[in-house]
Amino acid sequence: MDVPILKQGDYLIASILGALTDTALTRLQENLVRSVRQYRSKGVVIDVTVLDVMDSFAARTLRAITVMTRLLGAKVVIVGIQPEIAFSMVQLGLNLEGALTALDLEDGLALLKAADKKEQDGFRRHGR
Amino acid sequence: MPLSATHPPEKFLTLAEMMNISEQELERRKQILQFGPEDEERLLKLAPVSTRSAEAVIEAFYRHLLAFDEMRAFFPDPALLARVKARQKEYFLRLTQGDYDLDYAEERLKIGAVHEQIDLPVKHYLGMYNFYLRELWRYISEADRGHPDETLATFFSLMKLTFLDISLAIDTYIDSRERTIKALQQEVIQELSTPVLPFREGMLLLPIIGQIDSQRARQLTEHLLLAIRANRAKVIVIDITGVATVDSRVANHLVQTVDAARLMGAKVVISGISPEIALTMVTLGIDLGPVYTVGDLQNGIEHAERLLGYRVEKIAETGDDEKEA
Repeated sequence: MDVPILKQGDYLIASILGALTDTALTRLQENLVRSVRQYRSKGVVIDVTVLDVMDSFAARTLRAITVMTRLLGAKVVIVGIQPEIAFSMVQLGLNLEGALTALDLEDGLALLKAADKKEQDGFRRHGR
Repeated sequence: MPLSATHPPEKFLTLAEMMNISEQELERRKQILQFGPEDEERLLKLAPVSTRSAEAVIEAFYRHLLAFDEMRAFFPDPALLARVKARQKEYFLRLTQGDYDLDYAEERLKIGAVHEQIDLPVKHYLGMYNFYLRELWRYISEADRGHPDETLATFFSLMKLTFLDISLAIDTYIDSRERTIKALQQEVIQELSTPVLPFREGMLLLPIIGQIDSQRARQLTEHLLLAIRANRAKVIVIDITGVATVDSRVANHLVQTVDAARLMGAKVVISGISPEIALTMVTLGIDLGPVYTVGDLQNGIEHAERLLGYRVEKIAETGDDEKEA
């Protein structure tokens, strides 16, 4: 089952609906990167609320998506990591270093907006 | 010495296993008491005497025991007393039936555990052994008038076995108490250890006091993560003023906690690193990595407020307030 990618203004939302196979994860990675280019998105929110396991492959893929997307000039926020998952991830040393995280979709979008606003303010100040 | 019909809770391990009493350990205990095969033989020869005297000794013992108010409370009804007497007789007869092996030890341990559970005072436990030894001495010496040496030797064998029983029973007492104390300690520590306090909207305060070991670190992290979700926290101040020492293991736990919180979208500020701790950490080469640290709790809270976009302003001098009042 593919992960649906929804467009919401300047941002994309990839909402994972169930447990993912490794192939589905790889496809998500390809689709996301393609969509970021296609829609010229500024940010991506990946919602993993429903996941009750996060193995090393999934964690690595999420990191890869973060890095690839950053190369295209967009930010990735991973949202909805549950307490139990967060705990077992750090135990396994999967700490998604460098990725942005937020509690849920709402916070994730707010984080992207705040980051964009900060950037624009920065440009404006420099422009003067 | 069953005084009650209650059983210890079912366990997967035998008591002997739980208390590390192996064949060797039992052998060792016998060596300490110099209990050998000849003692076993003498005790076996004593079987007819103990069978003959059992009823009388046990009746006498319970007359003696029930003279104490606190002991009467253990036997609310006659049916229970009768049952306990029957068990007591089994126990008594078992003393002269040989095969003092691990199964024997297990029986003795069970009896000890049962009595510990019903809170039978040790002094009455010891009183029972003492009573039996004295009563049996009477019967032994009466039964075997011709050979005083042999009579005494038999009595000593009985005494050795009794002391073996006592050592096992007392150990169950000690072992059970230790378990109870440990369990209580754990409980108290768990209650005390991890308050997660909502401080402002989106901010949690987590003061840590005492030692951090892996169990506590785990529990602390779990509490914190659940609190992050429940309070929708974005910034957490972990105050370690009350943590006496920070070694590499503690530092590692802290880094893990910070990482886990970050995965849930929360930033962590660690406050309360004293100069001594800073010095030790540098000396030991401990690195907290990307974790943001500040000196004291005040700085921690102020930094957290800035991260959340709060600005705290003083609106009046404290003195003015007092004048108005």
